[in-house]
Amino acid sequence: MADRGGQRGGDRGGFGRGFGRGGRGDRGGRRGGRRGGRQQEEEKWVPVTKLGRLVKEGRINKIEEIYLHSLPVKEHQIVEQLVPGLKDEVMKITPVQKQTRAGQRTRFKAFVVVGDCDGHVGLGVKCAKEVATAIRGAIILAKLSVVPVRRGYWGNKIGQPHTVPCKVTGKCGSVTVRMVPAPRGSGIVAARVPKKVLQFAGIDDVFTSSRGSTKTLGNFVKATFDCLMKTYGFLTPEFWTETKYVKTPFQEFTDLLAKPTKGLLIDAPTETVEA
Amino acid sequence: MAEEVHLGLPGPWAADYREKADHYTTKIGGVPDWPTVDMGIKPETLQCSLCGTKLCLVAQVHAPVAKLNIEERIIYVLVCSTPQCGPKPQSWKVLRVQKCRNVMQTEGGGDELGQSNGPPSTSVPEEQNDKNKIPEIDDDDFDLDALAEALEQAATLASNSKKKNKSKHANAPVKCPVLKEQACDPSIPVLPCFYIYYDKELFGGKGTVGSSSSELVLDKEIMDTANDEEEKWEGEKYEYDKAIGADRTFLKFKKRLDAYPQQCFRYSYGGKPLMATTKLQDPGTCRLCGSPRHYELQLMSPLSYFLHEAGDGSSNYAPSSWTWLTVIIYTCSKNCCLSSCGGNPQSCCWGVAEEEILIQEDEVR
Repeated sequence: MADRGGQRGGDRGGFGRGFGRGGRGDRGGRRGGRRGGRQQEEEKWVPVTKLGRLVKEGRINKIEEIYLHSLPVKEHQIVEQLVPGLKDEVMKITPVQKQTRAGQRTRFKAFVVVGDCDGHVGLGVKCAKEVATAIRGAIILAKLSVVPVRRGYWGNKIGQPHTVPCKVTGKCGSVTVRMVPAPRGSGIVAARVPKKVLQFAGIDDVFTSSRGSTKTLGNFVKATFDCLMKTYGFLTPEFWTETKYVKTPFQEFTDLLAKPTKGLLIDAPTETVEA
Repeated sequence: MAEEVHLGLPGPWAADYREKADHYTTKIGGVPDWPTVDMGIKPETLQCSLCGTKLCLVAQVHAPVAKLNIEERIIYVLVCSTPQCGPKPQSWKVLRVQKCRNVMQTEGGGDELGQSNGPPSTSVPEEQNDKNKIPEIDDDDFDLDALAEALEQAATLASNSKKKNKSKHANAPVKCPVLKEQACDPSIPVLPCFYIYYDKELFGGKGTVGSSSSELVLDKEIMDTANDEEEKWEGEKYEYDKAIGADRTFLKFKKRLDAYPQQCFRYSYGGKPLMATTKLQDPGTCRLCGSPRHYELQLMSPLSYFLHEAGDGSSNYAPSSWTWLTVIIYTCSKNCCLSSCGGNPQSCCWGVAEEEILIQEDEVR
């Protein structure tokens, strides 16, 4: 089976030989000689999910469109493309051990936080047998869990938002973290470890208070992240007006009836449908 | 996994999407290459069970089974070309076409053997079949015929689907039963066509395969975090991978895809499929013989991406509406064959069986 297929397929020039087209601007032509242009260093992303395909084509420009419809992001390349200024940092690598009959088995657990310091932050935790694998995996998981962070004002609404909009609290394990709006210039008043997460989120001033066993820094960091996730979940008077529903990207960019999502009325779309 | 997995990786595009190949080709899209002109397939089998339009070919996989000594076996995956039927699993159909085992042709074992030795050495195992098939031809003619057939087979394999066979072997007599240019049925819808080449999956398990992310991991970074001993991160235990939008099964699926990001299908006869979601229905038993079905191959999402990219963006194009992550194909574990070969053994020695297909969709909610 392998022989025949191999000879039939032509020379094995490597992956993607002859697949340089597609998404390169000449999608109008069905066939043609244009086959080259494959990069050697960075492997081209082949999207797996429908959302990935839409992002790759450029139908979705901002990650806010994904957040608006609560679509699950399953590919980290989506976030890489939509949030360009994403920086990552390894917060800690700790060994975790498991007792087996043949001694102890040590694996490494990596905590990575990613963010663009302007309202998007993600936290990834990965265990692996090697440190490099754990870090790589944690970066991918952190990108998959990028969430938006809502910022607001402490008092006068002058300038850009700089603090959390209201008092929010997050919990993980026994650790609860409470964030309180702070006036401009206060800076981030928090322990060293959650301060890093808040810096990546783009919050300039905040007062924090924590409770529980904050020695378990893994839970501490996750509690802070949970707290940041809740900033957009808090109903404030700005959201009291009726929501104008818009079509999900799947409905907009297909001409036929897609699978209907729960409770979404198909109303006047704000973007024109591309052919 | 102990079973080794073969990956179907994309090769060159076909110059013409409707061009003919032979039934030993593995390709995506295009026109199905039936082994003989008259297959005896009922027209309803080639029509969508929901809307009745003609099915178009998604994948044609030449899949011989070495253990059971079946050389001539092809699997055709067909789908309805209307976008409305796309999301529904009943619009897909899988046909397994194989030669019944009691009639063996000379072509089956002749592609590698050099048949220049003459008839005695090559025709010994297939003597009775030769008598059945070619009774009139005497020894001299048979020698040249068999030689030419073997050369044709070898040439077909090596060529790029262009019909260069005849020009290469001008010595061969013309009366060889070479693939005839069948009347192309223009009413069959056709997807963009490209050929497949195989590769074995080298999956190093955990840790040795690099991901497709372009992040470079600096040793200095590791040392910095290791030296920071002001706070002890206490009480950490092993934690499974978790992401907001993806569960563990999908993350594992994506990891194997990232190792070979262009894989169009995975082939592992009797192996374990790579799941994308945890829910999987029971494949059931074979419709013909009742024996249980086992996994054979699965189509992967890069395939629908490539077909979508090759489309011309019209709204009537089926692959643009596909949202599946993987399509898993189960075939009869006994490779049964329809025993309706009574009468003339020369004409109907190909059995067609319909197999089971399970689609794993990308759930948005």
